[in-house]
This record gives sequence, C-alpha cells and structure tokens, in this order.
Amino acid sequence: MKRKTFIAGLGLIATLPFVSCSKSESDGKLTIAFLPKSKGNQYFVTCERGAREAAKELNAELKFDGPTNPDPAKQNEIVENWITDGVNVIVAACENKDSISTALKKAQAAGIKVITYDADSQPDARSFFVNQATAQAIGEQLMDTAATLTGSEGEFAIITGSLTSSNMNEWIKHIKERQVKYPNMKLVDIKPCDDQKDKAQQEATNLLSAYPNLKAIIAASSLAVPGAAEAVKQAGKSGAVKVLGLGLPSENKTYVKEGVTQAVILWKVEDLGYLAVMAGAAVAKGELAPGATEFNAGKLGKMPVAGDNIVLGKPFVFTKENIDQFDF
Amino acid sequence: MTSSIKSSPARHETVLLLVIVLEVVLFNALGQRFLTGGNISNIFRHSVEIGLLALAMTPVILTGGIDLSVGSMMGLCAVLFGMMVNSFGMDPWVAGLVAITVGALGGGLNALLITRLNLPPLIVTLGTFSLFRGLAEALTKGSVAYSGFPQSFLALGNSNTAGIPTQMWVFLVVALGIWLLVHQTTLGRSFRAIGFSADGARYAGIPVARNTSIAYIIAGAVAGLAAVIIVSRLGEARANAGIGYELLAITAVVLGGVSIFGGSGTVAGTLLGWLSLAILNNGLTRISEYRIFDQSVSSVARELSGMLTGVLLIAALAIGTVMKTLAVRRALKQSLENSKATHS
Repeated sequence: MKRKTFIAGLGLIATLPFVSCSKSESDGKLTIAFLPKSKGNQYFVTCERGAREAAKELNAELKFDGPTNPDPAKQNEIVENWITDGVNVIVAACENKDSISTALKKAQAAGIKVITYDADSQPDARSFFVNQATAQAIGEQLMDTAATLTGSEGEFAIITGSLTSSNMNEWIKHIKERQVKYPNMKLVDIKPCDDQKDKAQQEATNLLSAYPNLKAIIAASSLAVPGAAEAVKQAGKSGAVKVLGLGLPSENKTYVKEGVTQAVILWKVEDLGYLAVMAGAAVAKGELAPGATEFNAGKLGKMPVAGDNIVLGKPFVFTKENIDQFDF
Repeated sequence: MTSSIKSSPARHETVLLLVIVLEVVLFNALGQRFLTGGNISNIFRHSVEIGLLALAMTPVILTGGIDLSVGSMMGLCAVLFGMMVNSFGMDPWVAGLVAITVGALGGGLNALLITRLNLPPLIVTLGTFSLFRGLAEALTKGSVAYSGFPQSFLALGNSNTAGIPTQMWVFLVVALGIWLLVHQTTLGRSFRAIGFSADGARYAGIPVARNTSIAYIIAGAVAGLAAVIIVSRLGEARANAGIGYELLAITAVVLGGVSIFGGSGTVAGTLLGWLSLAILNNGLTRISEYRIFDQSVSSVARELSGMLTGVLLIAALAIGTVMKTLAVRRALKQSLENSKATHS
C-alpha cells in the first residue's frame, strides 16, 4: 500500500519538471482570447500569426486555443474556461454556429466582448462579425479574373463543391450576375465535385472532352482547384484551358508554378486574424460601438463598418509572380 | 496471501483517491482560479456525459464485454431528439424519454447480436459504432443541425440547482442507481460472475443471456440520456455529438480498476477514475503562468491531458499488476519456506 502510493505520487511529481517557471505578467493588460475552428489547420495557424502581430502592437496578451478533434462540445468548453479566466475579449471562428452561440452568450453575460471572424455565430451572440470577403466580392473577383485570363471571350465551366452548398451557390449567383459585363463569354456547365479532389479531376476531364472549345474552368471549392489542374495537365491542355479558383496558395503552388493554374483567389488570411483582434480590442476600449461606420485597424488603416459586419476587403489574387511570398 | 490479493480493489481506490488529492493540491498551487465555484462547476458540467457513459459501461465490462457503440448512440439519439422537438414540435421532456427509449432499443440490438448469435461484443459494437453514427449522419445529411430549444430545456445543461450544475443531479441519481444495481442486487453480482466465468455462471443457474442483455440495454439507455444532456448543454443537436466518448468512458472505467476481462471492479472505482480524468482535463487549462514546450501550459492543455491520461492509465494498471505479481511471488516463497521448515 505505502509503496504503491509512493510510486503513484512519484509518477505525478515526475511530471513536474516538464513545467518550467517563467511567469508572464498580465497586470492591467487587455487579455484577448482567440478561438480557431480547429487548432492544427494551416489556415487558422496563419490567422493566429496575424492575431499575434495585432496583440503585440496593442500590448495585449493573446490566448490561443482551439479543438484538436471534431468533438462539437470542445469549442464551448474552451470558451467557458475563458469565462472563468476572466478574459476581456473573445475572438471566435465558429465551427457549430448554434452550439457555440450558447457559450458566447454566457461570455457576454459575464461582461466579455465577443467578436466573430471567418464563420459567424448567431448575431446576438457577438458585437461584430469580421467577414473575410462578401459573396459578391468573391463572385465578381472570380468572374473578372476569368475574363482577364481569356481575353473576355469563349466558353467556361464551373466546378462547385455541391449543388446544395449555400455559400457556393451564392458565389455562383454573383459570377452569373457579373457575367453580363462580358457578353462574349458563355457559361456552359456547372458540375459538383462533392468537395473531393478526385471527383473534381474526373468532372474536369469530362468537361474537357464534352466542350472542346472550353477556355477556362472556375473551381469554387478549394479541393476542386488542384483537381481541375491535374485534369488539364493530364489532357495536355496546360495554358490553353485556364484554371482558376478559390483555394489555399500552398495547395496550388506546384500547379501555379508549372503554369497549369493561372490564379488562386483568397483573402490574406493573416490580415483576417489581425483585423479580428484589432476589432476586438477596439470594442473593449469603447472605440468601436454599434452604429460606427469605420474604425482604426492599425496597419490596415481605417476599415469601413457596415452594420455589424467588418469586411476585410477585396479578395486577393495569387499568381505565379507573388505566390512564393505566402506560406499558408 | 489471499488477503493481500483480495483487498486489491480497495487499494486501487485508495491510490486513485490520492491521485485526485494530489491533482487538486497541484492544480490549486500552480493554476489560477482552480478552486473557484465557477471552475468546479465547469469540471462537472463538461464531464457529466462521459461520466454517465462510464457508469453505464461498468456493468458491461464487469460481464467481460465492451460497448464501443455508446458514443455513436449519443449522436443518433441527439439527432432524433432534435428532429422530434424541432420538426415535429414535440415537448423536449417527452422527446427526451423517447431518446432514452431509442438508446435502450439500440442497446437491445447489441444484446441480441451478442447473446443470441454469440458474436464477440467487440465486433458487434464496433459494427453498431459505425451503424448508429452512420444513421445519425444520414438522417441529417451530415450537415443539418437542430437548435432553438426552449430555455426551460437549456437550463438542464446550463444552470445550477441547489448550488451544483443541474445535470449533476441527474448524474447522481444514475450513479446511485448503478451502484445499487451492481453492489446490492443479485443481478449485479451475476454480472461479475458472468465476467469471471460465463460457463460457471451458467452451471450455477444464472440466466447469462438475459442478464448480459440487461447490461447492454442499460448502457444504451444511459447513452440516450447523455445525448439529451449534451444537447441541452450545447443548445444544438448534431450528428457528431459524443464523437470519441466511448473510448474516454472505457478509459475512466479501466483506470477505476475494473478488469477489462470482466469479473472484478466497483462503481466507486469507476467514479474515481472518471473524476481523476475530469480534474486532469480541467486543471491543465488553469495553468497559464507556467510554460512548457515554449507555450503556456493552458494553451496546450488538451494535448498534455491526452498524454498524461495515457501515462496515468498505464502507470495505474502496471503498478497494480506488478504489485499483484509481487504479492503472489512473496506468498509462494513463504509457503515454500513453510513447507521446507515442516519437512526438515
């Protein structure tokens, strides 16, 4: 008995050396908690980098934590632990809109300011939503880029994630509205790829044989971009059929450099984290309140506020020339 | 010899109790706001569902079985509950009872396959693990989530009653029920008898198939209850509720000293195993002033708690086994010496 207790105690004490003692001072400083949808995702790691930069400029303490597995209760637990910590601001990207709202409302009730970014909560669970890009801006950017690449004429097709995805349908709606500007361009087909790269490649191959005059493929799902590129490459039509779409630069770098994919469209992810933290701090300091039309967002300058939305700006186009500067 | 081996469950619980005391002392010394009302509430609020599954898993493991399907059953019951309340306008409390019934039926399916077809529990519940989750995903096309439940229902998961989280009262009732069942009834004793030797139990006149079935049906029903509680806590019913919880529950049970081969173990052990894990998970998130791997402990709390859970589990079991072997060896040596002494 004694020995067993001794060994068990020893085991616990043995974990102590892992813990080194360097106290961080947090007196009087603003504490901002930054919640990603998931921790290991490169997209959110990049967001975090921007968030840290903003926190440094603000001389605020940044807590970064997020789920490491798909358990839907984890985001709530993290938020509830932050309430116990008494943080000043929570900046959250919401994985499950309704469940996280339950926890965010508790945080608000405890006097914590809440900002959402990337994916919104219920509107009454936060003060502002930092929107990476509006559906309209994304749709227009895709269409304009396609027009630039094809000289504003010829047939093009769209590969989307699924025909029922609401945000992708919104983008496609705006692509079609923008198309009016380019009367010589013709949308010949829209195919779903179930958000799978293989399926996208297969659909793109079918499109290439069905429409021999195809000039461009727009991929509206991030995995469809490399999928379409692979199909075009294997068909030996690199450059003849332009490939562009929404996706992470890192996932498309090889195709962009080979000249198969001409343009990858996305927002500057790092700036999204930066802007969200700046907005959170501004709300906590009382510099940003409902009804405001703009606020000072550090290195990004004055950012316009539309209702309870703060939009990061126009999507960014990654091309052969600039893609090497980004690593997300 | 017999006394030192027989008393091992009680010893195991003492060790766990000491682990818990050590955890509390350690986290209180190193962490911030660990022993505050709000945080203690969080410890229990966040772990009630896993605690319920661990309680329900205890009789199953005592019979020498295992139920891998309880986490998936939570997902299925959560989705059905959400549908009943949101799409059919059913009263949440009635829907809750239906969810528990569905859980019991699912447990009944497991029981049928295990006792009638004589299939190994591991295989059967591995099958229903996929089946239940798959059904939940199919019903919601993987993306539909139900929310907008009435406040009176959300209070179950988010309010306090008489100073403790409301759902803890449900947990305490279930814990008492399972304890009475396992330790105070002949049915409960038969679980251990079956786990020790199913054939022996059969010869002793125990209705092995019936009693084993009861254990799985209870596990299913409690999984349904856990689903209702997690929905009330999160305010959202989705197919991914309870993902991975079956393994966390099994970890708590085994850490609590219940033999994975069945036959021995106590409900108190399960509760202590569960509590020590719940405190570990929460306590690490409280330590933000100390750094590890160049990050504050609280920001890698989830990774650390996974690691330490593994260490704790393996250490507790290894120590138990080593102590038992040593005790047997010592007793053997003693009896050898005794026989030598009488011969000479």
